[in-house]
Amino acid sequence: MLKEMKYVIATIGLLAATTLQANENQLELQNNPELWATQLGNYQGNRYSKLDQINRDTINDLRPLWQFSTGVLRGHEGGPLYVGDGRLYIHTPFPNKVFALDLEDQGRIVWTYEPDQDPRVIPVMCCDTVNRGLAYADGRLFLGLANNTLVALDSESGELLWEASNGDHTKGESNTMSPLVVHDKVVMGISGGEFGVRGHMTAYNVESGERVWRGYSNGPDSDVLLDPQKTLMMGEPIGEADLGVSTWPEGEWKRGGGAPWGWVTYDPELDLIYYGSGNPGSWNPEQRTVDGEPADNKWAITVFARDPNTGEVKWVYQKVPFDEWDYDGVNENQLIDVEIDGKQRKGLAIIDRTGFGFLLDRETGELLVAEKFAPETNWASHYDMDTGRPVVNEEFSTFRQGVNVNTTDICPTAMGAKNMQPSAYSPETGLLYAGINRICMNYEPYETEYVAGQPYVGATLTMMPAPVQDEDNKGRMGSFIAWDPVKGEVVWETNERFAVWSGALATAGGLAFYGTLEGHVKAVNIDTGEEMWSFKTPSGIIGNINTFQHQGKQYLGVLSGVGGWAGIGLAAGLEDPEEGLGAVSAFAALEDYTELGGVLTVFALPDA
Amino acid sequence: MALNKMPRHPLVIGAIGVVLFLGMTSVSAAPAPKEGSEPGDYTVIDGKVDQGTYDGYIAYTRSCMACHGPDGLGSSFAPSLIKRAQQRSFDEFARVIAGGLQIQPGKVMPSFAGDSYVLSNIENIYSYMQARGAEEVGRGRPKVIEQAKADKTAENNKESK
Repeated sequence: MLKEMKYVIATIGLLAATTLQANENQLELQNNPELWATQLGNYQGNRYSKLDQINRDTINDLRPLWQFSTGVLRGHEGGPLYVGDGRLYIHTPFPNKVFALDLEDQGRIVWTYEPDQDPRVIPVMCCDTVNRGLAYADGRLFLGLANNTLVALDSESGELLWEASNGDHTKGESNTMSPLVVHDKVVMGISGGEFGVRGHMTAYNVESGERVWRGYSNGPDSDVLLDPQKTLMMGEPIGEADLGVSTWPEGEWKRGGGAPWGWVTYDPELDLIYYGSGNPGSWNPEQRTVDGEPADNKWAITVFARDPNTGEVKWVYQKVPFDEWDYDGVNENQLIDVEIDGKQRKGLAIIDRTGFGFLLDRETGELLVAEKFAPETNWASHYDMDTGRPVVNEEFSTFRQGVNVNTTDICPTAMGAKNMQPSAYSPETGLLYAGINRICMNYEPYETEYVAGQPYVGATLTMMPAPVQDEDNKGRMGSFIAWDPVKGEVVWETNERFAVWSGALATAGGLAFYGTLEGHVKAVNIDTGEEMWSFKTPSGIIGNINTFQHQGKQYLGVLSGVGGWAGIGLAAGLEDPEEGLGAVSAFAALEDYTELGGVLTVFALPDA
Repeated sequence: MALNKMPRHPLVIGAIGVVLFLGMTSVSAAPAPKEGSEPGDYTVIDGKVDQGTYDGYIAYTRSCMACHGPDGLGSSFAPSLIKRAQQRSFDEFARVIAGGLQIQPGKVMPSFAGDSYVLSNIENIYSYMQARGAEEVGRGRPKVIEQAKADKTAENNKESK
């Protein structure tokens, strides 16, 4: 199929070839099971590998081959890329170094790139100076720096080819996300939902860095790049114009967040990119009401399907209208083909911050499934499948409870039942695999004033482990789950002491992999969740486990280096709500298990 | 609006013993301000704190916790302020909050000079940290000694359960 497409493109003529080449190169690389050429493994975001040298029979022999210190403290998200040239390409949190490491020479440094960035960007990065990694196509590496500069590097030499400015850190804008290359464009979002930024997704030309389009998450339709007569919502045209303005109090959309800082996925057949937008500015819902009543604050916490060529919005689905909990909607949209009621559907699955697992039709944006994967979820009882809206539980509505009232025991926490750590999908089992958080919160909104470049939060939150039925699991803060996206059911789950903040990997070797905040890389039986192998790396893992094959040997590569929101929130341990105020004891503290420090660990079978 | 400085109800710590000696385990009125109180002073009676120390908890949780972790305990991103408040004089503590600090490349404390809410609460934050350091105040939201306020908090908690 791919070869046919290449042939067709080649025969269309050289005119078209230049514009489609980058996409073609990336597609070709990601269709080669030996490579790991994009952070999520493929455009669909599946994080699945067909490699099976490391499997249930051989896993016991899996050993670390070498380790490499990045020299950077702070949380290490993302993972290594392998594009078939015998090198691994890795990145670091701020200062955003890039290393090309020789895979055949135990990680000898081939070249290093280190940008010069204003350290004043650090305090505007709300939850650590993380970065989710490099993108690649046609001999170019792309990285979004903390200070919003998108850089293109020559992968051979590390030389800077071009840079483009995507935002202004003195206004609270920053970047943590990994860009994605589609066609002749590289798309990049932005961070800063806690600083009152106005979120957008922007496309740059891969060759020149020239900006091609920018679609905002709020404001007039012309800025969002949607047409209310054509853009679909729940399978029907939106109809009403400029909802990105009218669903906000006067002018609030200008600091309305909706920052898309998570992953972007892409369907080459439909030629659409998919991503979610973040929380709607201030965490105080009262400041986002219209005439004192809840307003939708569109298009925050919304799944966008856009045409990558023009930015035009094909459909939208708002997961949480009028957010009252910071249920930032950026989680990855897994593109999976499913059978529902005997019919083949092009699906889009989300294991969401909200505690709900969604399945949508990725052609139209219709909501097909919305079920809780974290049973403690209590902010909403369920989703109304006709309107696509959550049915909110008043008891846990921080708006109904009011400003300066501490609404208690809301599940999940603002961290989400799952945060950005990307899930995996196995086409063999039809299941999603994801690390999740079992944490709840108290949330107290307060009035806050917008000052450019200053935090614009407007709520305090404190966290506690989610309640559990089984006493043995008391204080448990994480799980790794297998999720059936069609039935909306958890198939199996394992318990972890801390939130599972690493990305997942599924393989044809009958295994799923994840990392823990203590620093373990774990392999589990993909059918049962039974732990089959583990290795403790030097620091907690919030990165993703990637796999690739070079000269007949299958490797695993993972960045460890604790940090991120998990590191900030869990370092000291959480309070035991049952011990009441002033309790001295705490649930397990992450600082008792791990310390900072970025390290790449590369594993393989010794005899392979 | 919570941007104005809340009036403090300071009471030097030495007075606690006197209060307790008098058997005032649960005072019905706010302790009267006392001459000569210093930044870092706090009052704890039966696990409850004076208004200023409570405001210090709230200000910390709103403006500092995102980096320094819950209840002043530190995080993977920034150190424990409980320890820092014990190691530093009020002047030093206040100077860092107002002026910021670059400890090493990549490790930066921002300046809060433009944030009137934080500036007006530095004394309160310092008092809260001193009370935490002395282990007189535990984790979580403390209750306030003043009865009316204590009732309101309890009522709010009850309503939201």
